[in-house]
Amino acid sequence: MSGSAQLMLLATFLPLLGGLGLLFVPNEKREVFQKASVAILAASFLLSVPLWFLYDRGSAAVQFSYSVSWMPSLGVKFSVGMDGISLLLWLLTTFTGPIAALCSWGNITERWKEYYIWLLVLQTSLLGVFIAQDMLLFYIFWEVMLVPMYFLIGIWGGPQKLYAAIKLFLYTLSGSVLMMVAIFAIYYLQHKTNNAYDFSIESFQAMAPVIAQQTKAFQVLLALAFFLAFAIKVPMFPFHTWLPDAHVQAPTAGSVILAGIMLKMGTYGFVRFLLPIVPDGTKLLMPYFLALALIGVIYGALVAMIQKDMKKLVAYSSVSHLGLCMLGIFALNPWGLKGAMFQMLNHGISTPGLFLAVGIVYERRHTRQIADYGGLSKTMPIYATIFMLMTMSSIGLPLLNGFIGEATILMGTFQTWPWVAVLATSGIILGAAYMLWMFQRVMFGPISDVNAKMEDLNFREIAYFSPLIIMAVWIGLYPKPFMDIMDKPVRKLVLQVQPDFYKAEALAARQAEAAKVGMRGMEAPAAHEPEAAPVEHAPETLAAPGGGQ
Amino acid sequence: MLAPSFATGLWEALSHDLQYIWPQMLLMVSGLLMLWPLDSWLLPWTKAEKHKWAIPTMAILLVSLLISLYTPNGLGFSAMYKVDGLTKGFQALCILASIFAVMLSQKVLGALFEHTAEYYALILFATSGMLFMCGAVDLVTIYFSIELMALCIYILVAYLRNQERGIEAGMKYFLLGAFSSGILLYGISLLFAATGGITTNLTELNQKLAVVSQDKNLLVYSGALMVLVGLCFKVAAVPFHMWSPDVYDGAPTPITAWLATAPKAASLAVFLRIFGTGFHGIFNEWEAPLMVIAGATMILGNVAAIKQQSMKRLLAYSSIAHVGYMLLGVLSRDAQSGAQAIWLYMLLYLFMNTGAFAVVIYLQGKNEGERIEDFSGMGKRHPVLAFSMLVFLLSLAGIPPFIGFFGKFYLFLLAVEQGYTTLVVIALLTSAVSAFYYLEVVKQMYFKEPAEGEVEPMDSYSKFLISATCAVVLIGTAFGPQLLKWTDDIRWFEKETPAVILEFSNN
Repeated sequence: MSGSAQLMLLATFLPLLGGLGLLFVPNEKREVFQKASVAILAASFLLSVPLWFLYDRGSAAVQFSYSVSWMPSLGVKFSVGMDGISLLLWLLTTFTGPIAALCSWGNITERWKEYYIWLLVLQTSLLGVFIAQDMLLFYIFWEVMLVPMYFLIGIWGGPQKLYAAIKLFLYTLSGSVLMMVAIFAIYYLQHKTNNAYDFSIESFQAMAPVIAQQTKAFQVLLALAFFLAFAIKVPMFPFHTWLPDAHVQAPTAGSVILAGIMLKMGTYGFVRFLLPIVPDGTKLLMPYFLALALIGVIYGALVAMIQKDMKKLVAYSSVSHLGLCMLGIFALNPWGLKGAMFQMLNHGISTPGLFLAVGIVYERRHTRQIADYGGLSKTMPIYATIFMLMTMSSIGLPLLNGFIGEATILMGTFQTWPWVAVLATSGIILGAAYMLWMFQRVMFGPISDVNAKMEDLNFREIAYFSPLIIMAVWIGLYPKPFMDIMDKPVRKLVLQVQPDFYKAEALAARQAEAAKVGMRGMEAPAAHEPEAAPVEHAPETLAAPGGGQ
Repeated sequence: MLAPSFATGLWEALSHDLQYIWPQMLLMVSGLLMLWPLDSWLLPWTKAEKHKWAIPTMAILLVSLLISLYTPNGLGFSAMYKVDGLTKGFQALCILASIFAVMLSQKVLGALFEHTAEYYALILFATSGMLFMCGAVDLVTIYFSIELMALCIYILVAYLRNQERGIEAGMKYFLLGAFSSGILLYGISLLFAATGGITTNLTELNQKLAVVSQDKNLLVYSGALMVLVGLCFKVAAVPFHMWSPDVYDGAPTPITAWLATAPKAASLAVFLRIFGTGFHGIFNEWEAPLMVIAGATMILGNVAAIKQQSMKRLLAYSSIAHVGYMLLGVLSRDAQSGAQAIWLYMLLYLFMNTGAFAVVIYLQGKNEGERIEDFSGMGKRHPVLAFSMLVFLLSLAGIPPFIGFFGKFYLFLLAVEQGYTTLVVIALLTSAVSAFYYLEVVKQMYFKEPAEGEVEPMDSYSKFLISATCAVVLIGTAFGPQLLKWTDDIRWFEKETPAVILEFSNN
């Protein structure tokens, strides 16, 4: 095992080990739990940082890989590793961990021992999802995560917590069991074609050409099974109904992790499994997928607009933002995919920020109704500034992180599906509207007596906001390193989904070159095509039903 | 001169065949000894308490487990009884389940207030019946061994004879059990007639069934169907499951835990013998009915469990549902891998089920645990107990990384390979439903406030029993390779692989 792989495994499993250690601490020592959990999660983050520098950006391969045979007769391995896409999300997870623990200090006033242990267990299962390179291992982490989340919401949540917790659990579980069937089906298809039993993600992706030769119905069913599992997690319209419930009822840390990490797993699943394994089935269903994503963008924004509860508003804004990410993914070109991945990162910074901000006023006044607030900027200037920054980051103001992601997604989507991109823009406009409106109603206007007594942020609260602000500004000013790290993996992914994509691009470039020099005759058959060949080419490949057949 | 040579011949045959049934012999003889000379002479003399029989019983069961593992493979008693991987594997399951039942019957758990020698003796007799079931390869031996098991269980179910519920359970189980045995026997006789009244041996039956003339088809189908119905009664598959919740509810709780595992393991072994060997050639005839039964069992078992208020009934319905999953293994065209998947599932189920019942029994001893509400606030009152129960329930629901997931994974993997994708989808969706009612208990334990009252610390025996089982369920998946290696040994011996028989299946 290489040193970097050790580092990765250590950072992943440290929270779990720490949680087991905390079991032996007596129940009364609340401070020990608070400090230890932050320390453990911060240590896990610090351990994870070197990997950012160790990662070789020139290769699309899975790095830091480590594999040991687990059940040889079934082809199951304990196999871990990361490529640029997983690394980015994995780092986002380690980054969010300490923030989630730190923000719980104030609002977890009972049963803290269980709380921090579940939080630590949750962190390991989240991290495990991104490093798993074996289907079974991935599935185990994917499911395990539900149990701590169920407890976090069910014990420390709001008034409707029981309903929200079981809803989250059952929704996600029913989606993922169908994915299990799809995994089995591919597993046996693989056995039939090359007589090997293998659960590695790599071998599953290598099955794509074989799957492309199966019947259309089979491909569509496979694509649907994967789609359902991930669409519920994202969540895409109409599978989003668990999200507002879970968010509103969850404690702040739960919302932070739900919005920051868990939703990203859905999109991660799309790029890691659905697109590379069943590209043709996805293309067959593309119109429906696009429609659902687009409805999600606009519907989410419209519903967010009318919310009276701040947390619900942010929850619906997630539906809208994630819909936009899905559009970027379904563009199936490098800009869309990169933009979507990048936007996932941004959403993982701005939305937790917003949830934390809502959590702060909730801790002070125990209400989340927008109508109960007003004029807060007068008594809480620091809070108002931070809230403003997070709002701006969420609605995509230039120089903050959100802008880059949205712009890239829309660029990519426009190249493949121009009209969809045009419609999706309305979601962004609406987004600005509902966020600013909420900001206005909460921060400005006359101030009531109760609100006037509210205290501004304390040191701890500023401490957990500051990393988010630093990241938001840093990404907004200099996004290049974050884009670069995804470069090769996204290129590989595009080649898996559209093998001809870069050929068309290269051809177009050559033609453009030829046209400039004025040697039109050289490439006679294609010479009349304009410069924008790749843009037009992409929809053609997509439109051909079951392209690979 | 005839008599001595007959005697020597008999002796030779016996001495050869007896080697296959030493475990059963041990169980029966020690059971008999317990009943008569020891209990009435020895014990009063040594002044030992009657429930002290538990430890000897466990020892006897353990010895018989060891003997059964080292029994040579072979065919004995005029090819009516066979020892092979399947026999040994399922025998181990039955004996393990009986050991667990005895462990659960301990007085410290407060499950039974009256312990007598016959309680343990009946468990031993029933276990020997199960061991015979695992190895029976002839319809007649199958029938006899089923009866041997069932008669003992009827009495054990009605063991709480001063409670109305107990009597009702025993009566219900006896009537319906007798009825189903009748159906089974009738089915057997029809098949016997259809194949010309020559054989009841499963292997020969399979060959005969393949060449049976067209006009006998009705006999064959109705015979096979009746055997199917009779066996479905024994494993409580829908629609022949009605007896099971009432019986589970009324029986002493250790016996309920035992009923959910041991007889089902043995009956599934019979299922595999009859359908994997005897009826393998007419697979296409029983495939559809069994598919419907399996699907219905999963759906009804899980859906009906949702609204249960009693913990024992909930576990009863959940055990119906688990049988539904295991029937997927019987459906496998490759009977051997089907047997392996069922065996693995049953082994893992044995642990989670025993664990869950151990918790229920412990609480019953404290006069609670009967209803789901009794679990409220358990997370605060008994953290270890509640956490163990959480692990058992999540494992029953098939949430990884607990062993229940591993069993489901292996079983459903096989079923998808055999082409039962729709049934697997039903199975997985209903297991998502099952998560709902298991989590209902979890909800009570962790999300509800505890009832008033003093909390008694757990005694060391219960604590050990529950947390040891919990540890197995918790980290069992890590031993996947070892489990798979054992599973690989569940095979019938070479000369009788049903491969030859497959040729007839097109008729």
